[in-house]
Amino acid sequence: MLPRWLIQLYAVALKEVRHTVRDRRMMALLLIAPAMQLGIFGLAVDFDVDRVPTVVVDHDQTTVSRQHLRRILADGTLVQRMVTASDAAAERAIDTGQMAAALVVPRGFERDLARGKAGHLQVVVDGTDPNRGSIAAAAVARYARIETRVAVQQALRGKISAARIGLALDAAAVPMASPSFPDVVLLPRVLHNPRLATSTYIVPGITALLLLVVTVIVTAMGLARERETGTLEQVMVTPMSPLVLLIGKLLPYVGIGLFDFLLALVVATAGFDVPIRGPLSVAFLGTTAYLTCTLGIGLLISTVSRTQQQAFIGGFLFLLPALLLSGVMTPLWGIPSWLLPVTKINPVKYYVEIVRGVLLKGSTFQDLSFHLGMLVAMGVLVLAFAAWRFQRSLA
Amino acid sequence: MTGPFTALGHALQRIAAMAAKEAAHIRRDPQTLAMALAMPVALLLLFGYGVTFDLEKLPVVAVDQDHTSVARSMVRSFSASRELVIAAELDSVEKGEALMREGRAVAVVVIPEGFSRALARGERTQLQLVVDGADATTALQTINKADAIASTALSLPVTTPGQGAARLVVDTWTLYNPAGRSALLLVPGLMAFILAMVCVLLTALTVAREWERGSMEQLFTTPIRRGELILGKLLPYVGLGILGVLLVLAVGAWVFGVPIRGSLLTLAVAALLFLIGMLAQGLFISVITKNQMVATQVGTLTSMLPIQILSGFIFPVANMPVPLQVVAQVMPATHFIAALRGILLRGNGLREQWQHLLALAAFALVMVVITSAKFRRRLD
Repeated sequence: MLPRWLIQLYAVALKEVRHTVRDRRMMALLLIAPAMQLGIFGLAVDFDVDRVPTVVVDHDQTTVSRQHLRRILADGTLVQRMVTASDAAAERAIDTGQMAAALVVPRGFERDLARGKAGHLQVVVDGTDPNRGSIAAAAVARYARIETRVAVQQALRGKISAARIGLALDAAAVPMASPSFPDVVLLPRVLHNPRLATSTYIVPGITALLLLVVTVIVTAMGLARERETGTLEQVMVTPMSPLVLLIGKLLPYVGIGLFDFLLALVVATAGFDVPIRGPLSVAFLGTTAYLTCTLGIGLLISTVSRTQQQAFIGGFLFLLPALLLSGVMTPLWGIPSWLLPVTKINPVKYYVEIVRGVLLKGSTFQDLSFHLGMLVAMGVLVLAFAAWRFQRSLA
Repeated sequence: MTGPFTALGHALQRIAAMAAKEAAHIRRDPQTLAMALAMPVALLLLFGYGVTFDLEKLPVVAVDQDHTSVARSMVRSFSASRELVIAAELDSVEKGEALMREGRAVAVVVIPEGFSRALARGERTQLQLVVDGADATTALQTINKADAIASTALSLPVTTPGQGAARLVVDTWTLYNPAGRSALLLVPGLMAFILAMVCVLLTALTVAREWERGSMEQLFTTPIRRGELILGKLLPYVGLGILGVLLVLAVGAWVFGVPIRGSLLTLAVAALLFLIGMLAQGLFISVITKNQMVATQVGTLTSMLPIQILSGFIFPVANMPVPLQVVAQVMPATHFIAALRGILLRGNGLREQWQHLLALAAFALVMVVITSAKFRRRLD
């Protein structure tokens, strides 16, 4: 004979499943929408800055100026979308946001180079997006640095005369004995995501966000609805303990959450080449702990709100900071210190690190033990608190 | 007294009555008021600081295999920057990689054996940087900063023979945001995002609630037409929204230094059209779902994440595949964010932004019309 609490648990869970299954729209929102959204959002996320629309103003109009412009544009960071002879027109193009950068070759560029003076290139960037602006400026600066280095080295080797490449390097001042000049170059080796693809690391993050959105508000409003419609009172007259009632109500959602996670994994690996380098068991363990947190928080919100509207607003007020301060969209490294405690109690942050760790970095149970521990601790704490409040609200 | 004017007068009267009823609802519900006015300010303050690309003190592990004073000063120059900080000095790359797997370091910089000797000989010398690419944004910033440190490392005490003066000099001007603060990019996006959320939240439940509570039946017994009901419901929220916009702009300007360089009139029109569009979208969801639970789920799924991801708030629209760019162009948040950035930062006015205003107006109009059309005065 099964213990009575288990039978009761089963009964409540079954009732909750039936409730959800019967509402087709709700089913679709809970099971299909997350995977679909993941597919769509995964395609949309791309931080890569290339093809910066650029207006080119060549006041010099010489073969040399054209040659340099062609080579600057060759690496694809800047793309020439407009050519004009007027500075005012170029400025307007940036003002309207049509162009993000202007590349200006001043008059006398070729003459300066021929005379051995430094040739000046002007770059005007739209700083509205600092990342794009600095990358556009850096592309031109890099070109200038390489040009200078190549010119110096060629001059040093004496293969090409200084005059021919338009340089007036004082050959006597250069010790011909040294074949090159000392220089430190950085050799980056990128682990886990060698192409630095945006979707590879954002998709696991969005999975965490979708699980959050799907579970918190549903649980928050579920109990509020029962209270509003009066069915909670009917359940209360049964011999069930409130704890069994709560767990029974949450169990189906843990199932739904795990199913959503599985579906998201399929979308991520099949659609976005997200690897699975670590043990999936750790990921599922993390997901279960995470769901305990999110469902517990949903429940807690429902115990403090009287109506569905209040529950919805409460859920929202939790969701927004949880989403935006999770490190999914923007890294957490730039957060001021007074805000750090908030991120330290954000379950989403730990879960995102677990999912990225397992999928991308091949992190093991040991690597992530702290994160898992935090999630479990938060989940148990929140759930216990919610249960206590729930019990009190019934009494 | 008959004629079109009296008909219009009656219609206006009914809209006013409906608006007054809804306004009374709001007035007597301090929660709604707080949500419409205090929430945008609180959230903007929180996220304005919390959502940033200006990363600081990224922990880097140093592995010094050279053990010379030149290598030491190389390590020190990493710590001297604001962006990077040497979190630990270890003796092997493997130990550094373990720290990265735990998420406690973002990169390992390796100074190989023979580093200072090669420099002294006047050779080109490599500095290795092993980066955790699991967060590509952080990884890129780390590489860029480390690259800058490495390329200026020649000020190290090493003889530098015959480095000719630069051949090409690049003069760079950065317009609108010379300090390169990411807040100027993100705060206008946040304003739009937060306002959109509040709008949908305010209206998503208002019709669904009347259906569930049965008060919709009472409304049907009055002579009010459906278009009038929709407009009447919208009006008080538009008023609330305008207050929200003003508060958010004030916080943006005072706290985050976001300038208002462009035309105030254009800004006002854009904000008004955006508010109407988003409020009507919430109302539309409420009208078609008739159920608070489904309404909230649809409202959240169609606004919270899509606005964060597809509107150009964080990820540039130009990088998206064409079908998603089309979706982005339909969303009012995309146009409002673009208009806000243009007006606030680039000093734009109607002349530069009319296309975005047009798109916002079109969305608002379509939403109000289809909401009225979908609204059935029938008890099913």
